Amino acid sequence: MTQNNAFELNRRTVMKLGVGAAAAATAGVNLSSEKALANNPAKSQSPALGARLSRAEGPLKVSGQARYAIEQKLENMAYGVTVQSTRPAGRIVSIDTSAAKALPGVVDVYTPQNALKLNKPTVYSKGGGATEEFTPLQDDVIRFNGMHIALVVAETFEQAMEAASLLKVEYEAGDAIVDFNDPKAKSQPIDAMAAAWGDAATALANAEVKVDVTYTTSREYNVPMEPHACIASWDNGKMTVWEPSQWVGGARRVVSDWLGIDIEDVRVISPYVGGGFGSKIGAHPHVGLACAASRKLGRPVKVSLTRPQTFTGLGGRPATRQNLSIGATKEGKIVSIVHESWNETAIDELHVEACNNVTKIMYATPNLSSRLNVVPVHTVQPGWKRAPGENPSAYALECAIDELAYALEMDPITLRLANWADIDPSSKLPWTTRQLREAYAAGADAIGWWKRNPKPRSMREGRELIGFGMASGAYPMLRTASEAKIVFHVSGQIEVLSGGTDIGTGTYTILAQTAADVLGVPAETVAVRLGDTILPRSALAGGSQQANNLTGAVDRAAKNARAALLSLAATDPKSPLAASKVTELTLENGRVRPTRRPSGGISIADLLKAVGRNTLEVEGNTFAPGASEEMKNGADRSFAQMKASLEGGVSAHSWCAQFVEVRVDEDFGTIRVKRMVAAFDSGRIFNPKLAESQWIGGMIMGLGQTLLEEGHVDQRDGRTVNANFADYAVPVNADVPGVQVISVGIPDFQASALGGKGVGEIGVVGVAPAIGNAVFHATGKRVRSLPITLEKLA
Amino acid sequence: MSAARQLSLEVNGKRHNLQLDIRTTLLDALREHADLPGTKKGCDQGQCGACTVHVDGERVLSCLTLAAQVEGRQVTTIEGLQTADGVMHAVQTAFIEHDAFQCGYCTPGQIMSAIACIREGHAGTDDDIREYMSGNICRCGAYPHIVAAVRDAASRLKTERAL
Repeated sequence: MTQNNAFELNRRTVMKLGVGAAAAATAGVNLSSEKALANNPAKSQSPALGARLSRAEGPLKVSGQARYAIEQKLENMAYGVTVQSTRPAGRIVSIDTSAAKALPGVVDVYTPQNALKLNKPTVYSKGGGATEEFTPLQDDVIRFNGMHIALVVAETFEQAMEAASLLKVEYEAGDAIVDFNDPKAKSQPIDAMAAAWGDAATALANAEVKVDVTYTTSREYNVPMEPHACIASWDNGKMTVWEPSQWVGGARRVVSDWLGIDIEDVRVISPYVGGGFGSKIGAHPHVGLACAASRKLGRPVKVSLTRPQTFTGLGGRPATRQNLSIGATKEGKIVSIVHESWNETAIDELHVEACNNVTKIMYATPNLSSRLNVVPVHTVQPGWKRAPGENPSAYALECAIDELAYALEMDPITLRLANWADIDPSSKLPWTTRQLREAYAAGADAIGWWKRNPKPRSMREGRELIGFGMASGAYPMLRTASEAKIVFHVSGQIEVLSGGTDIGTGTYTILAQTAADVLGVPAETVAVRLGDTILPRSALAGGSQQANNLTGAVDRAAKNARAALLSLAATDPKSPLAASKVTELTLENGRVRPTRRPSGGISIADLLKAVGRNTLEVEGNTFAPGASEEMKNGADRSFAQMKASLEGGVSAHSWCAQFVEVRVDEDFGTIRVKRMVAAFDSGRIFNPKLAESQWIGGMIMGLGQTLLEEGHVDQRDGRTVNANFADYAVPVNADVPGVQVISVGIPDFQASALGGKGVGEIGVVGVAPAIGNAVFHATGKRVRSLPITLEKLA
Repeated sequence: MSAARQLSLEVNGKRHNLQLDIRTTLLDALREHADLPGTKKGCDQGQCGACTVHVDGERVLSCLTLAAQVEGRQVTTIEGLQTADGVMHAVQTAFIEHDAFQCGYCTPGQIMSAIACIREGHAGTDDDIREYMSGNICRCGAYPHIVAAVRDAASRLKTERAL
């Protein structure tokens, strides 16, 4: 990692300050612990934004004190366990619950025969917050193997688990399509997401050099370490749900849909999230069951999916297939790209993996055609896994470009530069910033690209074949206007409030940094409260947008707060500075003072005390002036206000260049990644320490996708065979080499208010093709399907 | 069929008298009954390491251990690592400094494993650390930072012992 320790807080400071700030953030109470600190405000270490501060909630997380959603202690809580179908299609004839109900402690068993009433939620594509329409127990239809068909509720978890094992389900068989390569499966074009310019077919036919290839990816799972689970608590007509969520506003909307109650009567709380990677954006069907059971029983109900159940309780990335043809001149100028992709989707629902998102913007080509298709099969509705669309798109494209480079006998970086897109070739709009050349240069230098022998199977060390590979990628800028609030307490505590969540991305930390800079206080003295629908409205922590959305909103709120403080100091008759004009006052180091008297002034706490106030609350937002409540709610509970990459007549994206060195055992075909280096253009980086962690994490997830991860489906009955961590292998520590990340971005104020671009997803884009290209370089064998396992190298 | 049974567990030096279904795992006893949710449930089948605790100083998977098995033995969880006056263990501080986690959910298990890994003498090289820390999955992919944190903590603890 590029280390800059100048801003590193010393350990003692982290321990002392971090705990207090984060404790307040969690509980939103006991703020008095910061009193001593606030009365003697330390000098701020300006600017905080951009500094390598350690994670604000870190002390809580390393000591087991951070309470995740289902770790709340509630009186009289019951435990719910779902039962999933063991057939892929057909219908339920009957479910015999008598043995289960006879067990001690069993409260009730819900099946389609005595269903808990749930309304169908509105999915995001129709203006709602749900990621699937599937609503369990409402009919007897089996849609996929592993769908929820019953909920058992008992006094204890052990009783519920045993009871769940005793249901006797009688099925009526139905015809199933469990594989999207099944000839019976019917693909459907998604015309709205096609792209075309020029005459791609003719240009391809006439091209001097062509590659014409098919690339496939397997069904993948997000598998965050915290399984999907929730506590639902119905109390006096109101529903509170503790749900690990990337989007509490969306979950709130879905819960109100399910239960048919006013959204104002729903509260969703998500203080910490044990990973999501896209899989906790929507509240999934088990949450509906928990809510309905709690309402029926009048007591809190905790429903946790078992680890195996998470594989079908919600979907991961669908399997994809892409046909890609690239035509070029002998000199290496691309003249045409022809692309078509297919992804599996649920039998009666639509999930599109946008496999042309990178394909259509990476290179200058006068002709392009791209079509997307979905193939309905009997599977759980697929979902979003980190960089949905961009990840498989870059996989096929960047492998094919490597194939083209070898066909042309050109260096792959040189070929990419020869086809540099000065503007977005798809929209013909100018880029905001595109530091991709800098990324190529930095990554190539760091891995020693130019020192390799480019000939395939030319480098070895003993029995190990050595391969170098590179690839690049993009991730679009998504943006949604948001709100935030600053609260000054008479204790001296300063709070930042937002409904956004911290899924391990660093929201707690960077929002404190943002407010600190404006208010002139140390970031460690600012407490941040997140993840609760009673807090100011925020869009989802997804699409790599939240950091930019919320730093923008907090910056506005803090500026408003600063103005409000100065105004209070100048105008309240009880203020010691009441004789001053607002324009003559300054807020610095936590003190309001006359601009001309550097040593004087009054602390924020003393000012509030003097004027007799306990708190001063100030809001700010990034909505356009005059935005209606409906628009603000739309931003919080739907995608209605989300702006895509072409907003404002410019094309805004994050960029990356990934480089890897692999070693392939010549005898066994085992592949080990030896080194990973990547250079990223994510614009301005709000906290390099935390951004680097996200990039590295994305790269490692990409390593898993490339070499390990594959959902296996039993072709006889559609069962996910490897629905556990032993059989669905994700990277472990021993799989992971040294990883180096480099930031080449520059502030991009067309992309976002404070100049940042997306961080969270770009790390996983381009890894699979870089490794695939390296495996080709090492072995001379081109494997065109993920994961690249040893039998494919044989 | 199961029967509830009175169990007396000693966790972090404190006695917990719990009325538990005899099938209750140590993990569920901690999380659902002793109000010690710092130990995490990631898979409940011994595959991810998130539930790692120490029993008589040795690392065990609390999801594969019945609560009844640890009666009369000393259980240490993530909540029990700090000294009475709140000073963190060297591994905890190293995890913060090296940003050895993101979502934090695997972190308690990683830390409990790391302490044992160092104590067992398996933190001598980065490759050793990678190997002996591979029973703990981190989906956020903090592995390089976990290695750095364990290496750093091991060296600090060695220095402290030498002083």
